[in-house]
Amino acid sequence: MDYKLEELKDWDERIIKLAKTHGLDPYPLDYEVIDYHEMIGAMVHHGMPSMYSHWSFGKSFEQTMNRYNLGAEGLPYELIINSDPSLAYLMRENPLYLQILIMAHCVGHSDFFKNNRMFKNTRPESVIQRLRAAKKRIQKYVEDPHIGIDLVERTLDACQALQFQTTKYGQVRRPHEEIKAEYIELINNDKDERYKNFNINMYPIEPDYDLLGFIEENADIADWKRDIIHICREEGQYFWPQIQTKIMNEGWASYWHYTLCHELDLPGELHLPIVKMHNAVVRPHIGSINPYHLGFYLFQKIKERHGIDECFLAREVCYDASFLRQYLAEEDCVELNLFSYSAKKKSSVTVDDVSDEKGWKEVKEDLIKNVSGGSIPVVYVDEMKRDGMLVVRHEHDGRDLELKHANEVVEHIKCLWNKQVKFYTIVEEEPWEID
Amino acid sequence: MSIFREHKTVADRTASDRRRHKQKIEKAIREGIHHIVADESIIGQDGKQKYRIPVRGIKEYRFIYGNNGKQVGSAQGKDVKRGQKIGDQQPGQPAQGPLGGDGGGEEYYDVEITHEELAEYLFAELKLPELQRKQLSNIDTEKLKRKGYRSSGIKPRLDRKKSAIARIKRMKAAGVDPEDLNEDETFPFHEDDLKYRHYKIAKKPCTNAVIFFVMDVSGSMSQEKKFLARSFFFLLYQFLRLKYETIEIVFISHDTEAQEVEEKDFFEKASTGGTKASTALSLTNDIIDKRYHPSSWNIYCFQCSDGDNFAEDNNKFIEEATKITSVAQLYGYCEIEPDVSWMADPGKLFQLLKPLSSNKLREVRINKRDDVWPAFINLMGKSMENA
Repeated sequence: MDYKLEELKDWDERIIKLAKTHGLDPYPLDYEVIDYHEMIGAMVHHGMPSMYSHWSFGKSFEQTMNRYNLGAEGLPYELIINSDPSLAYLMRENPLYLQILIMAHCVGHSDFFKNNRMFKNTRPESVIQRLRAAKKRIQKYVEDPHIGIDLVERTLDACQALQFQTTKYGQVRRPHEEIKAEYIELINNDKDERYKNFNINMYPIEPDYDLLGFIEENADIADWKRDIIHICREEGQYFWPQIQTKIMNEGWASYWHYTLCHELDLPGELHLPIVKMHNAVVRPHIGSINPYHLGFYLFQKIKERHGIDECFLAREVCYDASFLRQYLAEEDCVELNLFSYSAKKKSSVTVDDVSDEKGWKEVKEDLIKNVSGGSIPVVYVDEMKRDGMLVVRHEHDGRDLELKHANEVVEHIKCLWNKQVKFYTIVEEEPWEID
Repeated sequence: MSIFREHKTVADRTASDRRRHKQKIEKAIREGIHHIVADESIIGQDGKQKYRIPVRGIKEYRFIYGNNGKQVGSAQGKDVKRGQKIGDQQPGQPAQGPLGGDGGGEEYYDVEITHEELAEYLFAELKLPELQRKQLSNIDTEKLKRKGYRSSGIKPRLDRKKSAIARIKRMKAAGVDPEDLNEDETFPFHEDDLKYRHYKIAKKPCTNAVIFFVMDVSGSMSQEKKFLARSFFFLLYQFLRLKYETIEIVFISHDTEAQEVEEKDFFEKASTGGTKASTALSLTNDIIDKRYHPSSWNIYCFQCSDGDNFAEDNNKFIEEATKITSVAQLYGYCEIEPDVSWMADPGKLFQLLKPLSSNKLREVRINKRDDVWPAFINLMGKSMENA
C-alpha cells in the first residue's frame, strides 16, 4: 500500500467538491477497502454485502479466481452497488493513482444510480437490509427438516434461470380484477366493435410478461417456495435497470472520471498513469462492444454537438437502446468501425453489414437489438388453463432460441409451477412446442 | 464526506457456496467416471499414470438466443467487407449486463486424478460377495490398516467428523463464540481443519480366495468383443488388486482347447479356432481339485464369452458349470454381444445356464461400452448397488 487512508479521504473530498460544482448529485459514498480475495467474493455476490447461499456463486468464484491466477482477467477497477448510501469497494493492493481514478468513476456511477429514471423503483435505501433478510429466510428453509438444502437449491436453480423473466421497471403487479374491470368498460363502450370477439374470461386477460410474478401469485405451491420466488423476482427487478443502462452507466462514469481527474491538478506522477489507465479502459474491444468505450465516446460527442446540459438530460431519461437510437449518428458508426456479424454455421462467422452509407442503419438496428437486455429473450404467460396447465410463449423477433437451454428452462418452469407447462416458440420458421 | 472502512472480518463470504459447488463437481465425477472405465487409455495401464478426466460443469441454463441472431462489434479498421468470413473464431461475446448469462458452449472442468483415486472412486463401497472365513492359511498377508489421521489426503478418505471437531477446536482457540457471530459472519472450514484417514500396511492372516478369469479367445470373438471382455476383466482385476492384496488369480483362455496363461498373455493373446466352452470349465475344475480345495479357499469364477459354442459341447458345458457352482462362492457369466440389441435373444450359453438357477450363478450381458460398469455392479451383487 503506497498510501494512507487519510490520503484517500483527502482526494475523495476534493473529487466530491469538484463533482458538485459540475452539477453531479451522487448519493453519499461508503467505501470499503478489501483485499483481492474478498474482492472476488464481493464480485460474485454482485457487490451485495449479504447474499443468500447458492452453489452458483461458488462456481463463479472458482472461475474468476482461475482466470485471475492465469492472468487472463484483471479484477474490476471498481465495484459499486446501487444503494443509498452507495457502497463501493476499493482493492487494497491498488496504487494511489488507481484509487483516485476509481473514486472519481464511482461518483459518476452513484450520480447515475440516483438520477436515471430507470432506477426509480429499485428502493436503493433498503436493498442491503432486504437481501440480508432474504438470506436469513432462505437459511431457515435450508435448516428446516421438512424442506432442506436439496429442495431449496432446486428452487433457487429454477428461479435464477428465470430471474430476468419479470418486469423491467419494478412495476407493481396490477390485480386481475382491476384489469378485467377496464376491459369490461372498453367492451361496454365498444362502438366500432373492436372487442367483439374478445374473451373476457381468459386468465390472464392480457399477456403477462412477469413470468415469475405470475407464478408467485398463482402457483399451487408451499409458502416457502413462493417466498423464494418472491426473493429472486425482486432481485431480478433490482438488477434490470443496470442491464438496461450498461453502456450509459459506464460511459457516464468514464466521462466524469476523465473530466474530474483532469481538473484535480494532479501531480504528473499521478496524472500520467491515470491517463494511461483511462485509455486502456475505454479502448475498443475488437469484435465486440466495450460499453466503457462506446458510452464514453457518445457522451463526449453529445457534449460537442449539443452541450453538457443535453448530457445531463440523457443520463436522466434514456436507457441504452433509446440512448443509441437518439444519439448514435452515421459518422459515429463509421468512426467506430461498427459492423454486424452472425454465425451461419456452428463455427464460421460471417460479416453481415458494415458501417458505410448503405449499411450503417442496419448495423445500428442490430446493435440496438442487443443492448438494454435485448440479448435476453422475452417470454410471456399466455394462458392458465382450467386444469392448471400453464401456457408460456416466446415472443419471437427473428432470433431463434437455443433449444438445449430452452428445454432445461422449461423444466425449471415446471419445477416452480408444480403443474403441467406448455411452451411455444418458433424454430427455423416452424412452430415449436416444448412440454 | 464519504465513509472509508478497512474491511477486517475473518469470514470468507463464499466459503459455503464453494463447498457446495465442489460437492456437485464430486458428484459429477462419480457419475461420469463410469463412462471412462471402458476407455482405451485406461485399460492396460500400469497404475502409475495420472488421468485427466473432463467433467461436465454444472451448467446454469437461461433462455438465450441461438445462432441466427446478429451481433455487433467494432473493427480494427475500415477493411471489413460485407460477406467476409471471419474464420472459425468467434469475434467475441457481445456486451452484457452485470449478470449476463453465459454462452451456449459446454463447460468442462479437467480433473486430474491418480490411478489410486480412480479405483477409490469406483470401488469405494464394493467387496467380493459371499466371502467366507475358510481354514486359515499359514501365509501372512499384507492388508491396509487404519492408522490415525493426516492433514492431507484424497477426498474419499476425508473424515468428516474429525474435520468438524478440528474446526470447533480452532473456533474455541480463536475465542469465537458461535452465538456471538453476526448473521453475516460464519466460521468456515480452513484447509488445516480437514483430516484424512491414514492407512498403513499391516500383516494379517487373510481369508483365502482364488479368482478364475476365463475368456473365450476363439475366432468368433471380434476385436470389439475382445475389447469389451478385456475392459470387464480389467475392471475386475483393478478391483481385486485394490481390495485384496494377496488374492490368487488364475487366467484361463480357450478356444476349442483351454490353457492356463500368464496375465500378460491373457490380456493380449488371440486365436482363430472354434469354441468349446466346456474345456475351460473343465480345466478350472481340475485346477480347483489340485490346488484350491474348497474347504480352504473362497473360489470365484468369471467367464466372458460371446455365447457361441459347438452344439455337441453343450451338455459337457452344463455338466462342468454345475460342478463349478457346487464348489464356488460365485460363478459369474458375462456374455458379450456388441452387434445385437437388448431385444435380441441371448446367445446359446446364456440360455443353457438359465435352468441351473443356482444362487451362486449370475449372468450378465454387455452390448456396448456403457454396459461394462452396470454389468460389473450386477455381478458383484446387491451389496454394491449403492456404490
